[in-house]
Amino acid sequence: MDRYSFSLTTFAPNGKLLQIEHALAAVGNGSTSVGIKAANGVVVATEKKTGSSLIDVSSLEHMAMVCNSIGMVYSGMGPDFRVLVSSARKMAQRYIQTYKEDPPVRILVKELASIMQEFTQSGGVRPFGVSLLLAGVDDRGPNLYQVDPSGSYFPWKATAIGKNMINSKTFLEKRFNSDMELEDAVHTAILTLKEGIEGQMTEESIDIGVISTLPAAQSDGKAQPTFKRLSPAEIRDYLSNIA
Amino acid sequence: MRTATAVAAPIEAHGHNHWSPYVDNGGTTLAIAGEDYVLVASDTRQSDGYAINSRYEPKAFVLSNNAVLGTSGCVADAKRLCEVLEQRAQLYQHKHDRQISTPALARLLSNTMYNRRMLPYYVFPVLAGLDSEGRGAAYAYDAIGSMERVTNSCFGSAETLIQPFLDNQVARNNQRGADPERLLTRQEALKIAIDAFTSATERDIYTGDYLEIFIIDAAGVHKETRELKHD
Repeated sequence: MDRYSFSLTTFAPNGKLLQIEHALAAVGNGSTSVGIKAANGVVVATEKKTGSSLIDVSSLEHMAMVCNSIGMVYSGMGPDFRVLVSSARKMAQRYIQTYKEDPPVRILVKELASIMQEFTQSGGVRPFGVSLLLAGVDDRGPNLYQVDPSGSYFPWKATAIGKNMINSKTFLEKRFNSDMELEDAVHTAILTLKEGIEGQMTEESIDIGVISTLPAAQSDGKAQPTFKRLSPAEIRDYLSNIA
Repeated sequence: MRTATAVAAPIEAHGHNHWSPYVDNGGTTLAIAGEDYVLVASDTRQSDGYAINSRYEPKAFVLSNNAVLGTSGCVADAKRLCEVLEQRAQLYQHKHDRQISTPALARLLSNTMYNRRMLPYYVFPVLAGLDSEGRGAAYAYDAIGSMERVTNSCFGSAETLIQPFLDNQVARNNQRGADPERLLTRQEALKIAIDAFTSATERDIYTGDYLEIFIIDAAGVHKETRELKHD
């Protein structure tokens, strides 16, 4: 146990933490993910890149619901993402147990970021090899946050992470405006991903998650915004409007 | 083999001298919730058996989010519970950049009490405030945090006298032809609260001295005081 009581992430002479830089490189190798905050909701989308046509793409889960009003997507290492999804879900449930309300997005983001930062300063562990995009609706309306391996977090109106992030962000800068409706935002997200995808884009090769500020009626009669992963059929509808 | 004999004789040997960490300081608290207000009334007598500790020691406390915590049972536990709850409300305010809502605070109180399951707060609180839609909300708890949202509730030394009265006059149970869904107006609730206490003061030795009434609505928290019999 003592053998790893020291942190593996240490400062280089130029002031950088090289492990974090390398983690960011791992993120940069991952499939592109895109997020757009519309006036009445948020959309996140990612490319489901597979090395082989033999993979059952329909069972790949890139989009995770953290709680009813918050969803999460990533670029980078899948296994690291799963761990963070699990933590985020537990965090959200702990909050709900205490306050009987969904956590505001910024509160969940801070806690998640805190965990990711711990892994840059604790003994014997490495930073997470993912950047996260969190999309949710709370008392402040629609929210979109990015969380990096270092534990830094950024609120965005629109952003991209992963392989094609630079071109995608340039594309988004031209296309984004703050009056965008959710429908337009989904459309734009798809177009942004399309810029970076090699080959055909089908409903199997991308994953889209949306949450609208207009609450959907729940079974107990209480209306609540719900994060939803679009079905392949729904994605196909959007795609048919693009071609 | 020689075993060491205990130096101090255990008190439990007698069975009836055992020290208890709990004290019941008497007194009563009630709450009535309306369409756009909620009322909390509690007497101010603090007792210990046949002794009166104070004629004016308030049992209901205003929290920073304009909710009122009405208490009964052990005053030390009640005061500490109120402080702890206020601290958590403040932390929430700093973290969230806004006041905690009444339903969230209600849940928080429940959890705070259940965390002390093995040595409970000897308090039977009632939490009152406006819910997220501006309607009056009252939450009633037992000593380990079991909570229920109610339109009327009474805890304390005179609860057995007052609660049936509230059941009949506020909830209109067991009244032929009455509409149980209709909520009371402020004036009706105030009158019932005062009548409940003046009657309870006659019969319950632990209830009396002064009555403090808090009315919470969109304008804030308003306090009124009435005299009760001092005997």
